[in-house]
Amino acid sequence: MKKRERKGESGHDLKATESTMISTLVSRRSVLKGAIGLGVLASTGGLAMNLASPGSAGAAVRQLPKKWGEVIDVVIIGSGFAGLAAAAMAEGQGAKVVILEKMPTYGGNSIINGGAMNSWDDEYHLRKKLNLGDDSWELFKQDTLKGGDFYNYPELVEIMVKNAPDALDWLMDEGGVKVRNTLPRMGGHSAYRTFMAVEGVGRGITEPLKRIAEKRGAKIRLGTQVSWIWRKDADSPVLGVEVIKNKKKSNIKIERALVLASGGFSRDVKMRMTFNPSLVPEYNCTNQPGATGEMIRYAQAIGAEAIQLAFIQLYPCAEPETGVLDTPAVYPYTGTGYGLIYVNKTGKRFVSELERRDVVSNTQIKSGSKPTYSIFSEQIIQKLAVPKEEIEKGMAKGRIWKTDTIGELAGKLGIPADALQETIKRHNEFIEGGKDLDFNKPITKNMLPIVNGPFYAIAQWPSIHHCMGGLRINTSAQVIDIWGKTIPRLYAAGEVCGGVQGSNRLGGNATTDCVVFGRIAGTNAGKEKPVA
Amino acid sequence: MKKTVLIITMSAFFSLAYLLAGNIALEAAKPAESKGAAARRESCVTCHSDFAPVLPKGHPAAAGKDIGACTTCHQPDVSGKAAPNAFSARLHRDHEGKTDCALCHTWVHDKSFGLMGQKLSWGKPSKEDMDLLKKVSVSWATSTYIDAEHGKKNVTCMGCHGKVLPVEGDSVENSRCLDCHGPMDQLANKSEPKDFKDRNPHKSHLGDIACTVCHKSHTESNVYCLGCHRTFQMKIPGGPKQ
Repeated sequence: MKKRERKGESGHDLKATESTMISTLVSRRSVLKGAIGLGVLASTGGLAMNLASPGSAGAAVRQLPKKWGEVIDVVIIGSGFAGLAAAAMAEGQGAKVVILEKMPTYGGNSIINGGAMNSWDDEYHLRKKLNLGDDSWELFKQDTLKGGDFYNYPELVEIMVKNAPDALDWLMDEGGVKVRNTLPRMGGHSAYRTFMAVEGVGRGITEPLKRIAEKRGAKIRLGTQVSWIWRKDADSPVLGVEVIKNKKKSNIKIERALVLASGGFSRDVKMRMTFNPSLVPEYNCTNQPGATGEMIRYAQAIGAEAIQLAFIQLYPCAEPETGVLDTPAVYPYTGTGYGLIYVNKTGKRFVSELERRDVVSNTQIKSGSKPTYSIFSEQIIQKLAVPKEEIEKGMAKGRIWKTDTIGELAGKLGIPADALQETIKRHNEFIEGGKDLDFNKPITKNMLPIVNGPFYAIAQWPSIHHCMGGLRINTSAQVIDIWGKTIPRLYAAGEVCGGVQGSNRLGGNATTDCVVFGRIAGTNAGKEKPVA
Repeated sequence: MKKTVLIITMSAFFSLAYLLAGNIALEAAKPAESKGAAARRESCVTCHSDFAPVLPKGHPAAAGKDIGACTTCHQPDVSGKAAPNAFSARLHRDHEGKTDCALCHTWVHDKSFGLMGQKLSWGKPSKEDMDLLKKVSVSWATSTYIDAEHGKKNVTCMGCHGKVLPVEGDSVENSRCLDCHGPMDQLANKSEPKDFKDRNPHKSHLGDIACTVCHKSHTESNVYCLGCHRTFQMKIPGGPKQ
C-alpha cells in the first residue's frame, strides 16, 4: 500500500495513474472482445484498439476465415524438444497432430543445444552409481528458484522438478536416449544432476523424440510459418491458425487445441532490445536463425499475457568469434564441478566457476579483455566421459589447446606463464583445503587439482542464449490471458513460456522444462473434446 | 529511312500480335483450326528455311515446317525419368526467351499443356503457372543459378520435376536429386573438407535435411551452415558471387 502513495518518477500520483489504467483496461477489454470478431465491430463501435499488425491488409479488421483449408485436431508450432514431446503425447490421446515448423529443418535450438538435461534421479540411479552424493526434487526446486532470484512461479518450478525423472526415463525407455557415464555439477546447482546425451549435442534427444512422435502418427511440416492465431473474442477458444507456405496463405481449423512451442527471441535484435536495451546488436548469439519470437506477439494479439521478457541470458562460454555453442563450448560449463577453472588474459581467476550464468558472463565482460579461458587437465576430461575423438576434433579446429606443461599452455594463450602457474597452484591448495579463499566457490570432494599433464585450454566468451520470459502458463500448460483467465484450447511449453526459470536459467534446465511441459501440454491438448 | 524503321516496327508488332492472338485463341479453340494452330504449322520455317545449319553434325536431313519435323523421330518424353534429354534441352535452350512457347506447344488454361500433333499433356497449368513457367524457363536457359547448370547438362524441367510441370512452390525431393547425384555417402565423400572432416555440408549435424534447403534451382543457392557458422569458408554452385 505504501508503494501506491509514493510519487512516480515523473511526478505523477501513482494512485491516480493506477485508477486511470484500470479504466483503460476495462474499456480495452470490451474492445478486445469485439475487435477480433467477425465484423462485430460495426455494432460495438469505438475502434480504440487494433491488435492486428499495423500496415497489414487486415489491420482495420481481421475477418475470421469464411472457409478453412483443412481441419486438424492438434496443431503444434515448433519442432524442438517441447513441440516434439507435445506431439508424441497428443497422438497418445488419439488426436491427429501436425507440427508446423517455419524453418526448412526441424529441431529449432534443441537440435543444436548441449544435450544436457537435469534430473534429481533416473531409473538407473546414475548419481548413486557414480557416488556423487544426494539430491531431491526439493533441492532441485530450491536451486532453480534461487538461480532465478525467486522470480520463478514456484508452482511451475515444482511441476518441472517433480516430473523430471519421469520425463528422462521416458526418453530413455521409449526414445532410446543414451546418456554418458558422467553426471556433471554445473553453475548454480548444489547437486550432480546433469545428464548428458552420448552424442554430446541435443540431436541425441531430438532424434528419439521425433521418432516417438512420428511413430505415433504426428506429421512435421517444414517451411510452414504461422502468421496469425484465430480467436473470435476474449471469451472464445482458439479456432485455428493462418499459415504461410511457399508464399501462399491458408487457414487451418483446429478441432482440439493449439500448442505453442516456438521458442524464444534471442535472434531478434529489435525484440530483445525492446525488453533489454543493453543487448545491443554487437552481441553474438548461440541460437538458430529462427528464434525470433513472433509467436509471442501473435499470442499477445489474442489476449495472452507475456511476462518477464527482459530476462535474457548470456551463455558464458561460447566460441568467442561467432558466439556458437559448439561441442568444445560445453566442457567449460560441465567441467566446473570437477575443478576446471576460468582465467582471464592476466592468467588470474575472476569468478567462482560454480556461479550462475549471468554472474559468470558479467564478470567476463567486466574483466576487461576478450576472450577468457577454461583451464583443465586430462583427469577432468576423463571425469566428463568425453570421447577422445571429440577432443581431437576440437584441437584440429584450434578450439582446444593441449600441452604437456602449464608454461607451454600459457605461451599458446599469450598469457603470463608465472601468473597461470601461480593461479593453478593456489586453486589446487583451495581444493586441498576445502575452501576457495578468493571467490568462495563451494569446494567438493569431486573436484580434482590440476597437477598432471597433459593440460588443456579453451577460449570462451558470453553469447546471447536463452529468453527466460515469455507467455504465462498454469501448471496444466494452458496459456493465461491478461485478465488471469485461461485461453480455451491454447497451450504453451518450453522457451516460449515465462515464469519457469525466473530471472536466470540454470544450465541443463531448458531441456527438462521443454520435455516436462511439452508432455503436459500435449497430453492436455490431445484430451480436449473436438469442436462440435 | 524513318519509313523503313516504321515498317519494320509495324510488322514486328503485327507478328507479335499474331503470336499473342494465337495464345488467346487457344482458350476458345472452337473453330476448325485456330490462328495459333495455323501459326504453329509454319512455326519452324518462318526462321529456318533450311534446317541443316542448326542440326548437329552427322544428323540426317530433316524435313517439315513445324515441330513435327523433329517429333517424327524424337518422340516427346512422357516417362518423367530423371535423365538428360539432349534433344529437348537443346531445342529449349536455343529458343527460350526468343520465341513464344505457343509456336510448338498447345495449352488450355487449367486443362492441358502439350505439343502440337500429340495427344499427351504435361499437367494442367493455369495462366499464373504459365507466366511462372516462362520466367523459370528463361532462367533455366540463361541464369547463373543451378537451373542453368542442369540445362547445360541437358536436364530439362522433367529431369527434376517428373511427369507433370511444376506449379509455384513445388520443390524437388531428395530421392530425385540422388537419382543422378547419389548415393548420399558418395556425395558426402566428395564434399568432405580436407582440413575439418566434420564440416561436411552433406553430413550435417542437423540430420537428414532437404537438398533444397541449400540448393535452390531458380534462385540463388546458399549454404545453410553459414546462418550460424559465419566464419566457415564454404562455397556452393549457383551461390553468391565472391
